[in-house]
Amino acid sequence: MSKTKTKQEEETLTVKIYIMGSAHEVPASLTIMKAMEYAGFKIKRGAGCRAGFCGACATLYRKAGDYRIYAALACQTQVEDGMVLTQLPFVPAPKAIYDVDSLKPTASSILKFYPEVARCLSCNACSKVCPQEIQVMDYVQYCLQGQIDKAAELSFDCVQCGLCAIRCPAEIPQYHVGMLARRLHGKYNTSTPETLLERVEEIENGTFEEGFEELMSLSKDGLKKRYTERDFVDQKKA
Amino acid sequence: MVQYSYFPGCNLKTNAKGFEETAIAVSKKLEAELVEMPSWNCCGTVHTLTSDNIMKRIAPIRVLSRSRKHVETLKESPNQVVTLCSMCNSTLKIVNNEVKKDQEILDKINYQLEEDEETYETDMEVKHFLEILRDIVGYEKISEKVVNPLEGLKISPYYGCMLLHPEEAKIDDEEMPDVLESLVESLGAELVMSPLFKFCCGSYHIVDQEDIVSSQVEKIVEAAKRRGANALVVACPLCAYNIDQQQKAMARNSVGKSPIPVFYFTQLMAIAMGEPVKINYFNDHFINPEPLLKELGLIGRKKAK
Repeated sequence: MSKTKTKQEEETLTVKIYIMGSAHEVPASLTIMKAMEYAGFKIKRGAGCRAGFCGACATLYRKAGDYRIYAALACQTQVEDGMVLTQLPFVPAPKAIYDVDSLKPTASSILKFYPEVARCLSCNACSKVCPQEIQVMDYVQYCLQGQIDKAAELSFDCVQCGLCAIRCPAEIPQYHVGMLARRLHGKYNTSTPETLLERVEEIENGTFEEGFEELMSLSKDGLKKRYTERDFVDQKKA
Repeated sequence: MVQYSYFPGCNLKTNAKGFEETAIAVSKKLEAELVEMPSWNCCGTVHTLTSDNIMKRIAPIRVLSRSRKHVETLKESPNQVVTLCSMCNSTLKIVNNEVKKDQEILDKINYQLEEDEETYETDMEVKHFLEILRDIVGYEKISEKVVNPLEGLKISPYYGCMLLHPEEAKIDDEEMPDVLESLVESLGAELVMSPLFKFCCGSYHIVDQEDIVSSQVEKIVEAAKRRGANALVVACPLCAYNIDQQQKAMARNSVGKSPIPVFYFTQLMAIAMGEPVKINYFNDHFINPEPLLKELGLIGRKKAK
């Protein structure tokens, strides 16, 4: 006999979780975010795209019998029995204001706006909590070394959830530092793609205006029909 | 060809690029190649004097542990991490010695590194590139590779503090060092001894007490010049910065001061060994050494054989 549970059993299986200290029985199949809503919480801050891209739903939790602090995106993580958790509405972290056009892609540019980067102890607490599994400490170190290209590359998958900044003993807002590194890299180390310039010129010359006007004039049903029948043939070549 | 796991440190990637590129070039020529660690963090400088500050010691131990892994990927590499910056050399050596003597402190640090699979087994040695040149390569082999003897350069070695102090991190005798002296002579330059070879350069006072640095630098440079030096050789990016930049500032402020260029020892080696001039990054220097090198015919001419 197979021990696989039927769909019905799977749905009714529940786990006990502790949301901000109080116990709740919730279906085991839910994500942390859905479990909190199931338990009656209305999440005003700390929820966004619900698809793991926006980084709004940073969550800290512990598990029964485990000393470690875990971190995750609430919309991407399934509840486990004995979880003790809370939802973070906001991460306080200073965001520097700068004019990227007047900077250079160097360590001094980073240190000018985020001098605390030099306090990094290389403890790697930031990398351990990153829900995107980014080597956060290493990109912070690349910034300090002026290797802006490597910092931009390594921090590329960041969703700006801010968990790294919460865990940092050197109080560095890593995710803002990574953003500055990527801006510097994009502005100074990479070339502008020719196709982008071509497309901008096409837009400025009004190439697409007629097409847009036609779409705007369609009824909802007409638009739906057009959408389902669309293909990606290159109009220029066709 | 022996390969060494090379730890750069932040300065070598920012304001001492000429130090790094010339070092790598000559290391290949001398078959003791410096290969940069794939990823590395701050050495942990300035070394903490608080014996129970574990956090501050995580960085140097992580460097040693990552270098140990790097060694596995290299050819004929000993269990050694090689540095160019004397500050990194000092910090890494001191902490390595500490954990070799004190299992308890190593255990505490390793608890923090466990999850990253970067625990350290005390099986590494820290070497400054000067030690490799002196003890492994040898001055004779260095002389053999010289194609452009540094005739006309009168060089005064300046050690600063970190190469000779403290006891557990020094690379040479603290009163009578000779590693830079022997190196300068093996490159065909004239050696000029100065009594202020380790007189403090002013160090981090450059950040908020520039006058201290300027008065130190003035004495160091004057002592060397009075004995006939037309250049200084150093191994520390902070010494280099202070002496180079302060001379420029002093030349601006007073009449009659003629500054002398500051070289990293690897830059002198690269010039003597006929490496391309551009790897020296002389544009980054405050006192450009090129006019002197041209005047002496050491760069900018075809070598007549």
